[in-house]
Amino acid sequence: MPEVVIPIGPQHPALKEPVNFRVIADGEKIVRLELDLSYNHRGIEKAAEQRNFIRVLPLLERVCGICSHSHATAFAKGIEEIMGLEIPPRARYIRTIIAELERMHSHLLWLGVAAHEIGFNTLFMWTWRDREAVQDTLEEMSGNRVHYGMNEIGGVRCDLTAAQVTAALSRLPVLEERIKQYIDMVNSQETLLIRFRGIGRMSREEALKYGAVGPTARASGVDYDVRRDDPYLAYAEVPWNVVTDTLGDVYGRTRVRIGELWESTQIVRYCLENLPEGPIRVDTPKNAPKGEILSRYEAPRGELAHYIRTNGTDRVERVDIRTPTLANWTSVAMCLVNQNIADIPVIVAAIDPCLSCTSRLTVVNRRDRPRVAGPHTPLSGNRLFGRKGEDSP
Amino acid sequence: MTDPVFTLLYIFIFPGFVFLVAYALFLSFLDRKIAARMQQRVGPPFYQPFADFIKMLGKEVIDPDGVDRRLFDAIPPVVLAAVMTAFLYIPVIGYSPLAFPGDLVMVLYLLALPTIALFLLGWLSRNIFSAIGGIRAVTQLFIYEVPFFLALLTPAIMAGSWSISEIVLWQQHNLWLVFLQPIGFIVALIGLQAKLERTPFDIPEAETEIIAGPWTELTGRRLALMHLTTEISLVTGSALIAALFLGGPMIPWTFSDPWLNGAVGFSLFLAKTLAILLILSSIKAATGRFRIDQLNEIGWKYIASAALVQVGIVLVINYLWVTP
Amino acid sequence: MTGTVTPETIQEMLRDFGTVEQVRKNRIRVSTVPGRLHDAIMTSQAVLFVDRLITISAVDNGETFELLYHLIGPHRIIITFVLNIPRNSPVTPTVSDILPPAGIYERQIHDLFGITFGGHPGLKKLMLNEDWPENEHPLRKDWKPGPDTFYGGIKVERS
Repeated sequence: MPEVVIPIGPQHPALKEPVNFRVIADGEKIVRLELDLSYNHRGIEKAAEQRNFIRVLPLLERVCGICSHSHATAFAKGIEEIMGLEIPPRARYIRTIIAELERMHSHLLWLGVAAHEIGFNTLFMWTWRDREAVQDTLEEMSGNRVHYGMNEIGGVRCDLTAAQVTAALSRLPVLEERIKQYIDMVNSQETLLIRFRGIGRMSREEALKYGAVGPTARASGVDYDVRRDDPYLAYAEVPWNVVTDTLGDVYGRTRVRIGELWESTQIVRYCLENLPEGPIRVDTPKNAPKGEILSRYEAPRGELAHYIRTNGTDRVERVDIRTPTLANWTSVAMCLVNQNIADIPVIVAAIDPCLSCTSRLTVVNRRDRPRVAGPHTPLSGNRLFGRKGEDSP
Repeated sequence: MTDPVFTLLYIFIFPGFVFLVAYALFLSFLDRKIAARMQQRVGPPFYQPFADFIKMLGKEVIDPDGVDRRLFDAIPPVVLAAVMTAFLYIPVIGYSPLAFPGDLVMVLYLLALPTIALFLLGWLSRNIFSAIGGIRAVTQLFIYEVPFFLALLTPAIMAGSWSISEIVLWQQHNLWLVFLQPIGFIVALIGLQAKLERTPFDIPEAETEIIAGPWTELTGRRLALMHLTTEISLVTGSALIAALFLGGPMIPWTFSDPWLNGAVGFSLFLAKTLAILLILSSIKAATGRFRIDQLNEIGWKYIASAALVQVGIVLVINYLWVTP
Repeated sequence: MTGTVTPETIQEMLRDFGTVEQVRKNRIRVSTVPGRLHDAIMTSQAVLFVDRLITISAVDNGETFELLYHLIGPHRIIITFVLNIPRNSPVTPTVSDILPPAGIYERQIHDLFGITFGGHPGLKKLMLNEDWPENEHPLRKDWKPGPDTFYGGIKVERS
C-alpha cells in the first residue's frame, strides 16, 4: 500500500479525550506524525488571573479530572511559600493521603485503559472494579469522587474523622492483594506480554533528550521523582521508594506504574496510621507579597510545574502551567515512528495522556458579550437544554 | 425422508431457519453472559440479542458518498443465506435429510463466505479504516483456513467419507473422534475462534485501532443482518465441531421409540454445542488481541504445524489399523 | 559528579552571562539577553550537568515579555534563565536545536503570546483551533475578545 494518511482523532475509540494525530503510514508502518492539541483548551490560565486565590483553587482543580488534586496542591503550596506560611502537620498528612489515593485511582484507571487498548477487556473490568474501592474512600473523605476540593490556602478544608480512617484502612488489604495479582498477571499473561514487550522503546538518552517525565521516563531508567528530589508535603517523613525500570518500553512503564501503586498503598497506610493531631489550617493574609515561584509536584502522570508570579494583590499576575502530558508528547511522536498502526493506541496510552491538562482554549461566553465559540462549545445555544437566552459562563 | 412437506418443515421451521435463528440469539446471549460473569459484571438479560436485532432493523441506513448502494444492500442477505444453508447439512436430530457425499466441503466453503464479504464491504466503503480492516480480514483468512481445513479433514480421512452425517454415524459405531484426534480438536477450536473473529483473533474489528474495521459503514438493516450472520456462524461452527469430533446427536444406544431417539439426540446436540460455546467464551474473556504480524508468525509456526502433525498421525493410524 | 556542583559553583560559572541570584535554596536565577542564551544553555549542559528542560514560562510585564527557561540536572538545582524581550518586536532565537522539548513549549507560547522564535522548525498553532484569527494572542494582558470577531468553530445564528 502506498503512503496513506490515517486520522487518529479527534474522535476515536482509542483516545479517551480529543486530540488530532495525523499518522502518515506506509502499509502498517508509521512514517510521520503531526499533532494538534487544541480541542480541550478552555482559557484557564487567563481566567486564573482574574480571580482571587480562594476562587482560583476550584478553577485550577478543574484543569483535569483525574489529577485535580495535583493542580490545586501545586498552586496552594506555591502561594503558601510566597506568603511564607507553614501549614500544620495534620494538614500536610491529609494532603499527602489524598494525593496518594489520587495516584492509586489514576494508575488503576490507566491499567484498565491499557488492557482495553489491546482488547483484553477482562483486566479492564477488574481494575476498574478495584478502583471503586479507592473512589469510595475518597468520597467518604472529601465528599466527591473527583475534584475533591480538599485544599485551601493555608491547609485543608475538612478533617478526617476516626471512622473514616478506620474505613480507609480496612479497604487497603483487599487492594494490596489485588495489586499482587495484577503483578502476577502482567508478568505472565501471554497476550499482554506479546503486545507490550518491545513496543515504543525509549533509551535513557532519548528519554532525557526529548524531555519525558513521570513513569514514562522512569521506565527508561531516568531517576527523577519530584517527591524525592524536592520534598514537599509529608514525603520527607514517610518511608517510600522510587520505582524505576530499565526496559523503557510499554511493558516497563506498566511495571513502573504497578510498582508505584504498591508504594502508594504503603504511603497511605503509613500516613493513616501516623496521622498527627492538631489544627488543619492556619490563617492567611489576604494579599500575597510580590514574588515568583516555580512550584513542582509529582502528579500521577509526571512532573507538574506551576510558575506563579504575584504582584502584591490578592490575585496572581501569571500562573503558567506545564503539565506532564505536554512534556511527554514529543517523546510519543518520536516513539511512534517505525511502529505498526496497531501499536498506536498502546503507545499513546502508555504515557497516560490527559488532554484536559494539556490544552487549556478560550471559550468566553457571557450574556451581553458576543459569542466566542471554540470547537467544543455546545451547539444551538442552550435552547436544546431548556435554558433560553442564557449562555454558558 | 423424501417427503416434501417434511423437507420443507425441516428447512424452515425445525431445525431449520426458525430454530436456527432462535438458537443463535440464545447462544449469543449465553456468550455475553458468560463473558460478563467472568469479568464480574451482571451481563445482559436473555432477550438482549433479540432486542438488538429488532432495534437495528429499524434504524436509518446511511450511505456514505460515492458508495455502491446496491452492492452494499445485496451482500448481507447473501451471506446470511450462505451460513443458514450451511447449517442444514449438519446433523441436529439425527441423519440430516439433505446429506450427500461431499457436504463437508460445501459447508466449509459456505462458512468462508462471511469473511470474503467483510473484505468486499471494507473495500467498497471508501474509508481508510474499513479498507485496513478488510485487508486484515482476508490476511487472517489465509492464516487460519489452512490449519482449520486440515483439522477438519482428519475426521473425514478416518471415517472414510466426505459427508458429515456419515462421519457422525461412524462415531456412533466407534469412539468419539476427540479421543482419537485431540490435537485436531484443539486446532479446530482455535481455527473456529479465528473464523468467527473473536478475541484473541478479532483483528479485523479491532475497536481501539481502526474504529470498527469493515463494519464501520454498516448501518440499519445491513448491520442487523451481518450481525445475525456472525451469530449464526457461531452456531454452525460449534455444531460442525460437535458433529465431527464429539459425535453430534448420535447416542451410543438406540431406543425403540423414534421420537425418544430424536429427543435424546437433540438434547445431546444442545449439550455439546453449549460445551463448545463455553470453551470459546472462556478463551474470549481470558485473552487480549494479537497483532496481525504476530498472528502470522503464530499461525504458521505452531498451529499449521500442529495440524500437519495430526494429519500425519491419522494417515499412519489409517494405514495400520483402519483399512485392513 | 553531582557532588561537586553546588549553588555557589553554578553562580560562579554563569556570572559572565548576566546577573545571578539565588532565589531559593535550590534555584538560581540568571538574567541574560537573547543573544547569549544559547551559549548559556550550552555551557550549563556541558559543564554543569544540566540535562533536562522543565518548562519555558512566559509572562506579560506590560512593556516587555519575560521568558523564563527552567533547567535542571541530577544535582537537583534548578537554573532559571530570564530574558526580557520588547513588546513591539517580540522575536527571539529558538533553543529547540539544543533542547528538543523546547519545540512544543515554544509553539504554545507563540500561539498564546505572539512571540516568534527564529529558527523553529514548525511554528504552527498548537493550543488554539486552526480557524482562530491571526494576530489575536489571548494571554497578552491587553487582549479582550472583540465584539465582531469570529474566533472559529461553528457559527450559530441566534434569533
